[in-house]
Amino acid sequence: MAKKKILIVDDEPDVVKWLTILFENNGYDTASAFDGSEGFAKACSDCPDLITLDISMEGESGAKMYKKLLENETTAEIPVIMLTGASPKLDEFLARMRGSKRPAAFMEKPVTDSQLLDKVTELIG
Amino acid sequence: MDSAKSASGRGKDLIYRQLFQQMPFCIAVIDRDYNIVDANRDFSDQFGEWQGRKCYAVYKHLNQPCDRCPSVDVFSDGQARATDAVGVDRDGRSTHYVGHSIPIFAEGSAADVKYVLEMTRTVAGTGNWQQEYQILFDRVPCYITIIDRDYRIVRANEAFRENFGDVIGLYCYEVYKRRSSRCDNCPATKTFRDGKLHRASQTGTGKSGQDIHYVVSTSPLRRTGEEIAHVIEISTDVTATRKLEKQVIETERLAAVGQTVAGLAHSIKNILMGLEGGKYIVSLGIKKGDSEMINEGWEMLDRNFTKTTSLVRDFLSFSKGRLPELKMVRPADLVSEIVNLYRDIAAQSGITLKAEVVDSPREAPLDPDGIHTCLTNLVSNAIDACLIGDQKGSEVTVRVEDTGEKLIFEVSDNGSGMDYDIKQKIFTTFFTTKGSGGTGLGLLTTRKIVQEHGGKISVESRRGEGAHFRIAFPRQRLLSLYQTGKETAVEH
Repeated sequence: MAKKKILIVDDEPDVVKWLTILFENNGYDTASAFDGSEGFAKACSDCPDLITLDISMEGESGAKMYKKLLENETTAEIPVIMLTGASPKLDEFLARMRGSKRPAAFMEKPVTDSQLLDKVTELIG
Repeated sequence: MDSAKSASGRGKDLIYRQLFQQMPFCIAVIDRDYNIVDANRDFSDQFGEWQGRKCYAVYKHLNQPCDRCPSVDVFSDGQARATDAVGVDRDGRSTHYVGHSIPIFAEGSAADVKYVLEMTRTVAGTGNWQQEYQILFDRVPCYITIIDRDYRIVRANEAFRENFGDVIGLYCYEVYKRRSSRCDNCPATKTFRDGKLHRASQTGTGKSGQDIHYVVSTSPLRRTGEEIAHVIEISTDVTATRKLEKQVIETERLAAVGQTVAGLAHSIKNILMGLEGGKYIVSLGIKKGDSEMINEGWEMLDRNFTKTTSLVRDFLSFSKGRLPELKMVRPADLVSEIVNLYRDIAAQSGITLKAEVVDSPREAPLDPDGIHTCLTNLVSNAIDACLIGDQKGSEVTVRVEDTGEKLIFEVSDNGSGMDYDIKQKIFTTFFTTKGSGGTGLGLLTTRKIVQEHGGKISVESRRGEGAHFRIAFPRQRLLSLYQTGKETAVEH
């Protein structure tokens, strides 16, 4: 059976590196991107089974990328775990998302490896 | 009347008597014991029965001498005086009159004042006009006092009496400021000297000890051809405005603190993610016996510990919780200082650093160290932007301008510029485009210092077209903070 693929989108290189090693060591394939526009392009080209997405990034934000995912037929159903460092950003995001499909999960940084893995297993097995 | 009786001949006596009676204003003759010894017909018409009565009982229906009695002064120094008072007429109505108190000397003496002749005329021809004038004087929403040349208050309106108490006859400086001597730079002194209108911003003490901030204007009160006998002081109470101004500054300060804390939390969370990641990779490397992975994890831990150290160091310097230490400085000097400091560093990278001083800015109350930090941050950012932009003829200009209302510092460059997204972030989060080279605290610190001065910072920029940072300090706010600072310093 082919491995399931997780797309990691975060502007912190250390976070990307950690999550890559964590997921690959637990039987997943990974792809990564450092901002929203690169993330959306990879979501379209790589068809991941799940996306971990940081809200606040230096380039295009995670909120904007999430909106683009929903608007695109091929990406609209991909489960997304929103990772956020700042609560006000999350509130702002939720306000903007009113009426739209909510992400599969929200997790506030810092998360531990087991918390994240449990959530991933719950969503895609 | 003694002086009249001393005139020779019954004919002359009769003429003086009739003249005295028919003069078209009130005349009363007062002795040293406040007895009215004579008065003319107009006086009787205006004030009623006077025979055998004291002047204060007749003029003002009092049972003891007035606090400030012009006749007492005339008896004491023999100098005539102009008076301006409110009394009570024969029907019990309040009446405003002006008059002269003139000494009558004992025969053959130029020093022994035997009587005082009080010649008065009511100010208003009609009762209505007088009443309207009185209402206007009392109800106008500002403080009005009239002071004489000794700086004693001879009249005060209702608004003034409500806030400062019963003050007639007291010195203005003891009433306004609880001082025992005249204030420095007193606008009334200037008006007495040059007869012109003067204005000053002052802080006084109310009757309950509360601070009252007011702007006072002084104007001369004199009759044609005479020297200035009185000065009118009209003060507008700006205490509420000052309070609001302080509240606005405080609110902005608190908003900055809130954003700072949110930004700090964001940075710490990212560092914790890095530490969590490093820990995981090291453990995995040990479990697998993979030394390369252990090294990779260790480097991640190391990098994030270093980030913690820099963040804490910068944050401590950022969070120095103090009010700006304002002192009067020349804004142009602050600009030259920064330009001299950075000129060589900029030149080494092929960047021209220029100072531009517009409209010879006046001295302003600023915290020189704080402004130095702001300009240092902006200039070093501008130099970095020129280095990234990597174009020929790079230029950074530090400019200061005085518009009278505002003091404006500007730092412009023709470097890499910023797009919309970056502009939105630079003042609101711990944002850096310099990778591990910056903590993102420079512009936050700058904004904090600017806000502590009651100012605003803004930026105009487009990617590839340089940036233009502008710091504007409203002079009124700077002044208000400066005065508050001085008062706090005195209190401590």
